[in-house]
Amino acid sequence: MAFISNLQISDLAVLLFFIGLYGAMSQRNIIKTIMSVGIMDIGAITFFMMANFPANAKPPIVGTPVEQMADPIPQALMITAIVIGVSVIAMCLAMYMRVAYRYATADWHILTRRLEK
Amino acid sequence: MVWSESLHLVVLAPVVAGAVGFFLPKRAYHWLLFFVNVVVVTIAIMLFREVRWGAEVVQLMANWPQWIAIRLVADLYSAPLVALTAIFFAGTFLFSTKADYMDKTFLFLFVMLESAIIGMFLSGDLFNIYVLVELGMLIIAILIMYKQDKQSVYDAMLYLMINFIAMAFMLLGIGYLYRLTGVLDLAALAERLPLLENPRAVIVPYAMIMTAIAVKAALFPLFSWLPRAHGAPSAPAIVSAVLSGVQVKAGVYLLVRLTQVFGPVIDAAPFFMMLGFVTSVVGFLLAIAQKDIKLILAYHTVSQVGLIVMGLFLGSEVAFWGGMYHIINHALFKGLLFLTAGIIIEEYGSRSYAEIRGVLRRMPAIGIGTLAGVLGITGAPFFNGSISKYFIQQGLQGDFGGIAMFLINLGTTLSFVKYSVILFGKPSVDKPLKRDPFVAVVSLLFGLACLAGGLFGGPTVALVYGPQYSAGGALSAQKLITFALTLAVAVGAYFFIVKRIGTFLTSVRTFKFTFNQVTVFMTLFFVSLMGYVWFTVA
Repeated sequence: MAFISNLQISDLAVLLFFIGLYGAMSQRNIIKTIMSVGIMDIGAITFFMMANFPANAKPPIVGTPVEQMADPIPQALMITAIVIGVSVIAMCLAMYMRVAYRYATADWHILTRRLEK
Repeated sequence: MVWSESLHLVVLAPVVAGAVGFFLPKRAYHWLLFFVNVVVVTIAIMLFREVRWGAEVVQLMANWPQWIAIRLVADLYSAPLVALTAIFFAGTFLFSTKADYMDKTFLFLFVMLESAIIGMFLSGDLFNIYVLVELGMLIIAILIMYKQDKQSVYDAMLYLMINFIAMAFMLLGIGYLYRLTGVLDLAALAERLPLLENPRAVIVPYAMIMTAIAVKAALFPLFSWLPRAHGAPSAPAIVSAVLSGVQVKAGVYLLVRLTQVFGPVIDAAPFFMMLGFVTSVVGFLLAIAQKDIKLILAYHTVSQVGLIVMGLFLGSEVAFWGGMYHIINHALFKGLLFLTAGIIIEEYGSRSYAEIRGVLRRMPAIGIGTLAGVLGITGAPFFNGSISKYFIQQGLQGDFGGIAMFLINLGTTLSFVKYSVILFGKPSVDKPLKRDPFVAVVSLLFGLACLAGGLFGGPTVALVYGPQYSAGGALSAQKLITFALTLAVAVGAYFFIVKRIGTFLTSVRTFKFTFNQVTVFMTLFFVSLMGYVWFTVA
């Protein structure tokens, strides 16, 4: 069981990424694939946040002693990545609504068959 | 002007002009953007001059110390592509002064795309590249579904989701690299990666980032998004032209850049070389099966990108610069072909090559432009394609190389024999619609550039990149005979084979991969690249 107790958050984040990838490969429902892609993105973001994170580090804000601070670069970068992720997911969902109105299906396979030739 | 303090202006100029001038009426806004683009072209050419005959220009943003700051770099790889992008966008703005599908929002998104592409070329920071690629991806998704007719929303959604998965791969890879090295700057990464105790640790992030870049550069088997995006029925001609001409090249450029960064630790050149060859062959096979003229061109972009990647990874210096030159050439002739195809579709009201006849007679200028593009892409003597293909071929060794090149040339010629059918014959109506004179001017200018790039091929490469190679061999008797032979075989094959297997081609044409299958391909690509690197890295 040492294997499980040695797991770190960044390992779990990689696991989350691949769960999302599995969902994108296997799910036929469009909404579920959009969710899977979102999970992949979140997994990558979590992994990045935990990069070079010393145990018990404090948030890098004014007042924290420098030696206890977490690395501020990943945190600053990941705010950007989160914003991008949210906007792309929102746009995917908006596009899906258009597609659903036009073809009346939530299934990739049926959708591919119903496309105009 | 001090270059090392003003490089960001080149990136910002288009988008700032687009935002500031947004209150203007549409026509004025369009002309404003055109003139801003002319200014950007001038600056980009001056920048290129500085880089080519002076020194590399590096800017550290916001005065942060080196390796922490976001770095902008203009060097011999990026400066010509920045100039190319600016020239290309200026041309498309001039081309579309009277187009009625454009409103101000469209124009604004279009200049924003220009800024994103130029920024991608100039940035020397991995995360910055990631953000700009995501920005470009969102804008392109909006642009290809702008008219919202037919299945364009589906095409855009598929494009967005496939590319978003690719970018998630890239983000995870960047995270890994940051954990290993603690830097994101490309030059710093190149310096620190060889110092790692265990170089095998780089394999996973390498495979992740390269999978993402391979999707962007549309390598086999990850290109299925490209024809949908570039040949989307509803995408305006200028969007298709920019996507095929410049935006795909950003993927190829990143491939070159990152290969150099990882170079000291990981070398997967044979993998990418073979992949380029396969991409090229599959691209033209699918192009032959298409009926829609824009889709023929779009699949052809896949094929030509394969050829470029093959040249870049052959491991020979001539072939490398041949590949770099082919990037410029392909931008010129494919941009020209997409622009004229848009006008042809508008004029005839049809996208099927079987229903369009006599373009040369009905619209001489557009016809001549198309012809120049076709001659360029097939590598006809005196046109630019012949020079870069000749350079790439010089890097190929032995019989396999000769056969591979002949096969690619044959496929290219065959699909363009099919395409040029639209030029000849008798048009149903002789009177063309009234058009803006700039349309003809831009088509002819691009066509002239194709011819000039061929006539002065060797000197152009020497001027742009520096190395001196003689392109005289591209006009040798043997080459001319090979071209004539290829053309004859292609015409024969078109009439005796392609025309008789219509049902087979229809089934190829209508076959589509679903989103799930594309994702499986991406995973397979990731795993096989990782496996390849695993067994080759010491």
